[in-house]
Amino acid sequence: MIRTYILNKNHLSFWLRQLKSAHELIAPWRDASGDIVLTELSRMHETALDGPALMPSPKEFLLPQMEQLFCYSEEGIEEAVNKQGRVLFGIRPCDISAIKILDTFYLGKNKDVYYETRRNKTILVSIACNQPDPTCFCLGLGTGPFLKSGFDLQFTDLGDRFFVEAESENGMSLVKDFPHIFIEPKTVDGEDLYEARLASQSRFEKRVNLEQVRKSILAGKVNDAFWESVAVRCFECGGCVYNCPVCTCFNVIDRPASVDTGKRIRLWDTCMFKGFTRTAGGVVPAEAKIHRTKRWFHHKLLHWPEQFGVFGCVGCGRCAVSCPGSIDMATVALKIKGSDQAEEKNA
Amino acid sequence: MVCLRCALCPMLRINSMATPNIYLPFKTSIRGVKEVAKDVKLFSIVVPDDFTYQAGQFVMVSVLGAGEVPISITSTPGVSRDLELCVRAVGHVSSALNSLTTSDGIWVRGPYGRPFPINGRQDTLFICGGIGIVPLRPLINQMMNTRAKTSKKATVTVMYGSRNPSEVLFLDEVAAWQDQGANVVLTVDTCQIESWKGCTGLVTEHFGKAKVNFKNSTAYICGPHVMIQGAMRDLSLMGMPDDHIITTLEAHMKCGVGKCGHCFCGGKLICEEGPVFSLEEIKKYNIKPGRDSLV
Repeated sequence: MIRTYILNKNHLSFWLRQLKSAHELIAPWRDASGDIVLTELSRMHETALDGPALMPSPKEFLLPQMEQLFCYSEEGIEEAVNKQGRVLFGIRPCDISAIKILDTFYLGKNKDVYYETRRNKTILVSIACNQPDPTCFCLGLGTGPFLKSGFDLQFTDLGDRFFVEAESENGMSLVKDFPHIFIEPKTVDGEDLYEARLASQSRFEKRVNLEQVRKSILAGKVNDAFWESVAVRCFECGGCVYNCPVCTCFNVIDRPASVDTGKRIRLWDTCMFKGFTRTAGGVVPAEAKIHRTKRWFHHKLLHWPEQFGVFGCVGCGRCAVSCPGSIDMATVALKIKGSDQAEEKNA
Repeated sequence: MVCLRCALCPMLRINSMATPNIYLPFKTSIRGVKEVAKDVKLFSIVVPDDFTYQAGQFVMVSVLGAGEVPISITSTPGVSRDLELCVRAVGHVSSALNSLTTSDGIWVRGPYGRPFPINGRQDTLFICGGIGIVPLRPLINQMMNTRAKTSKKATVTVMYGSRNPSEVLFLDEVAAWQDQGANVVLTVDTCQIESWKGCTGLVTEHFGKAKVNFKNSTAYICGPHVMIQGAMRDLSLMGMPDDHIITTLEAHMKCGVGKCGHCFCGGKLICEEGPVFSLEEIKKYNIKPGRDSLV
């Protein structure tokens, strides 16, 4: 059941300060160069909730760029599981949708204990997007700009106040001690919420239907010449994968400190790199760029739905921001759709 | 004396709470090492009694400090007391592994992967190329054992190709298979030794010597990519059903449990849904483990 409240914006800093006393509080913050990044917040009033999609995505707080799996010594190995409680404040609904996908992947078959421990200790507070970025296309996927479920707390900016929805016990735990600032909404608040959502939906510049694209690929309408035209534009920088909130691949390496001691760490890896599939014998199955780009799109558009029933994309548009070659998900999907429609017209 | 503390250590299990940590290997030791060819060593590894596996599966083996690699199990399930691994020094970790000696510590987790399917009492054909005999060896041994116990004997044909006579692995076992009634075809690419009694040339050139009804038997193939490719194509052309042509694929793997994504190929994770695949599956999912497609 979803409970609803109104929080006056003047009370936000106070509430965040209270959260910080019991949790590690991660929130968007504008750094010296003007970029908005997710980081541990020290001055509450500095949180920046008006920026574009956060780069990198909140994925790094559940699956860090680099994390220790265990350390080893002559005595054996000792696993390193993080047990700190955390609140992720100010992330986007698409990020929550992405975390739900990560949950099915990491907490399904063969549970990942590192992810699980972090996830269980993380409370997700999202802010509905009233101003989607030009790169956003979550609307067509149902992963944003606001969610009906899946969050712990969802905030919607109504000008001078937030409309707050609490879905889970974890979410409730953050508001239940402050009944004096989380007050009952009035009819006008509900109306404003409706207006804000409607306005947000009308602001989307990109309309992408991935289901249509999936069907085109399955129908064999997308040939290798098309993927080649995508691949030639790939810089092999890996930006799309590193910034993608759904991409999960990692590498595992040992970092010896001495002959007998050291640690095993895992770090983000990207399937866009040539060496990603290189075997010890030197064979590189996905040597040609076309295989790598095609595999990334196929994985997200065909194999995720096959395995988990959802696309491996939430429409956050981060790949569009990071890709220097303009071969992000939305652009490629629109191209596939465009060529498909052109074909139909000709026929 | 082997310390089983790490394998059975209550600390690790308790620390990881309800969810077992899929990335944690257990410590064990090497009971014996035998150099079976140049740069190829056969390790016998002590494992606890509850460590069970099937032919075709693999384990993740760590040399702490160097890294972790997937290695095919080559010991026969239920027969061998130790876990046997046959490793050629090729890369960083396999070279570190090959420098280990008897009673050295080693870290293992697994077994992982889908084992070889067994199609009833059909005639079987094994096609091995070089070190590709390693994952097939437990299955051949298993088949020979069951064959010895049954009265209505299905034929077992082992075709084994190597580069040269010095690289033929498990020669004594191959001879034993022959003694037990298997039809063995040994071949080498090049041979200057006159005493060599086998054939020369590629293994796929000798299908005529395999006395099997191709339409009604099962083939298990492992070897270099080109050999798998050629053998699969030829067997398919000779009328063997695609789902009876079975191979095991290699891939770069970092986790072995379907998480790291390195072995992802054609929508399948080779570690979890493989490494054993039939030609039918390879065609259906377009699995491409090497530079070129297999079909």
